[in-house]
This record gives sequence, structure tokens and C-alpha cells, in this order.
Amino acid sequence: MKTSILFVLACVLASCQLTNYVPPVTSQMATARTGQSVNLAMLHEGRTLFAHRCIECHTLPVVWRYSSKDWPDIVDSMSQRASLKPAEREAIIAYIIAVRLAEH
Amino acid sequence: MKAVLYTGIFVAAILPGLSFGGARHFGFIYEAPTSAPGSFELENWVTWSRTTNPQHSDQVAFRHEIEIGITDRLQASIYLADWFYKNDPAKSGFTYSDSALELIYNLTNPVIDPIGLSLYQEYRGGNRFFEWESKLIAQKNLGPLILAYNATVEAVWEAKGLTDHEGEFQQAVGASYEISPRFSVGIELLHEFVFPKWQDEEKIRNVFIGPNVAVRHGNWFVTVTALAQATDTSEEADFQVRTIFGVGL
Repeated sequence: MKTSILFVLACVLASCQLTNYVPPVTSQMATARTGQSVNLAMLHEGRTLFAHRCIECHTLPVVWRYSSKDWPDIVDSMSQRASLKPAEREAIIAYIIAVRLAEH
Repeated sequence: MKAVLYTGIFVAAILPGLSFGGARHFGFIYEAPTSAPGSFELENWVTWSRTTNPQHSDQVAFRHEIEIGITDRLQASIYLADWFYKNDPAKSGFTYSDSALELIYNLTNPVIDPIGLSLYQEYRGGNRFFEWESKLIAQKNLGPLILAYNATVEAVWEAKGLTDHEGEFQQAVGASYEISPRFSVGIELLHEFVFPKWQDEEKIRNVFIGPNVAVRHGNWFVTVTALAQATDTSEEADFQVRTIFGVGL
């Protein structure tokens, strides 16, 4: 019984760990069609802000949980709470959308 | 009166730029992320504890804390007042305990890095009382699961001339699972090593364990943790419940 519980727990932890909630920025992301001008520096900043600011209140969702259309509104709704300046908010949105586009 | 007026003007002046400092998932364990720069938050703590050995007593302790995000990695907190109401056969009533300054510096991130680490330092002073507390905060986020660990060393000087002293080493470990972005549940465990007169002759060890619940929405959060003593140490609480209510200003 104990072994089964430990096995299930290990599987849950492993599955959580295997999912990359903040994929590293690649050059492919900067060239993906995002509908706005992005550069690698902006994507790096967006990733850092996403990983640092958002976890002050909640854990990070996988980026494909919400659509590219929904993400800007989601980030906007929490930007004041997370003390995000407009440029920081844009960087986070650009990073999330770039990750989504690069994965599809 | 002038001080109140100036304070009011200061708060009114900075209010438009203020925001939320962050939500807690644990009641007795600190988390590695620090507040966003420029954020400003008021936290009120209420801890009820019941002791039955050697005699029955109840205590309700209050803390009023202002948390300020200074930089991306540095956070400061001011404990405006720690005070408590105690009800026991010998004496009942309210007592002011102390005020404190707390600093937390974040070193690594619990999502990007293999482990998130922060350093914590607190200085606390009251009437014939001074406490120095250092903490290493470790955290790992695995998707919706937060695992946290605190190692704490504290030294206390008290009584007239601050001649009485005591030390404590505490380990705390906790897990919190986020069921939704607004709601999480978890468990916390504290393991204390108490050193009266900074010596370990009495071999005092305390273990507390219990569940926690955290709810957050908009610019507020509430976290409740209930702990029961798993050891049998006299003069230590058998049961304690802590509620932390935080609101962004």
C-alpha cells in the first residue's frame, strides 16, 4: 500500500516537473508571427517577469491553458496587482504568445 | 496631531502608485518570492493558541504588518505592533509585546532555477525584550504544487538588563496545492529545538503539524493554518490556529 502511494506521488511530481511552465526563449520565438514587433531582449524580459511577478500570488499556468486572444486580458486584469509597468505587461504578453506560436 | 496629518498626506500622495504585495499560501512558513517593487500591503495576523499542560490557558496574538516591495529582489516589512490577549488562572489581559523590522532578499527563482532561495533577517524589540532571527527560505514550484522549507535560527534576550537569553532552531516544511488560481490547500510541519540559556540540557523538542487553506481574490488574500502539537511538551500550545488577512493598499 505504502509503495503504491509513493509510486503515485512520484508520478505526480514527475509529471509536474516534466511540464516546462516557462520555456526558455529561442530565436525561433522572435521570428514567429506575433502581429507585433518583438526582439529577443523583450522576450527574455517577459520570461523573467512572468516567472517572478506572477508567482507572488499564484503558481504559473501552462501557457496553452488560455488562447492567444485571452492572454492579454488575463495579464491586464492582474497587472496593477503585480506592479507591472505598461512595457513590462507588453513583454509578458509577447513572451507568452511567442511560446504558444513556437509550439504550434 | 501634525504627525497624523503628515501621515495622511503621505499616504494620499503615494496611494495611486501602490499595489498588492503578494499572497501567502502558508501560515507558518515563508515563501521565496519577494514583493514587486513599489508594492505596499497591510497584513493582519491573528493566532489563537490553547495550552493545557501544566494548566489551561488561551492566548490570542495579533500582528499588524506593512510589507513593502523595494526592488525586484528585496522586500521590507514593518511589524507595527505585536500584542496579545491572554486568559489563564494567574493573569488575564492585553499586553503589547514588540515591534519589528524584517528584510527578505531573494536569490533564486523557484520556477526557473532548480530551487528558489531567499534570505530573511528580522530584528524585534519591545519592553525588556530583543530578538534576532535569521532564516533560509527554500521553495520549489512544481506546476500547481508549492514545496517550501524554512530553516530558522533565533536568539532572544529579555528581562531587566536583557540578562535572560534563549535560542531556538526551527525547521518548517510545507506543501500547498493550488486547486484554482484563487484557492489552495496544503499541510505544514514545524520542528523546533529550544535552547534555554542557549544550552541544550533540557532537550526540548516540539513538533507541530496541520493543514492550511488559502483564498485570494483581487487585492486581498486570507490564509488559515491549524496546527496540533505532535509532541508532549509542557507550556507549549497543544493547538494553534493562525489567520493572515492581507490587502493591497
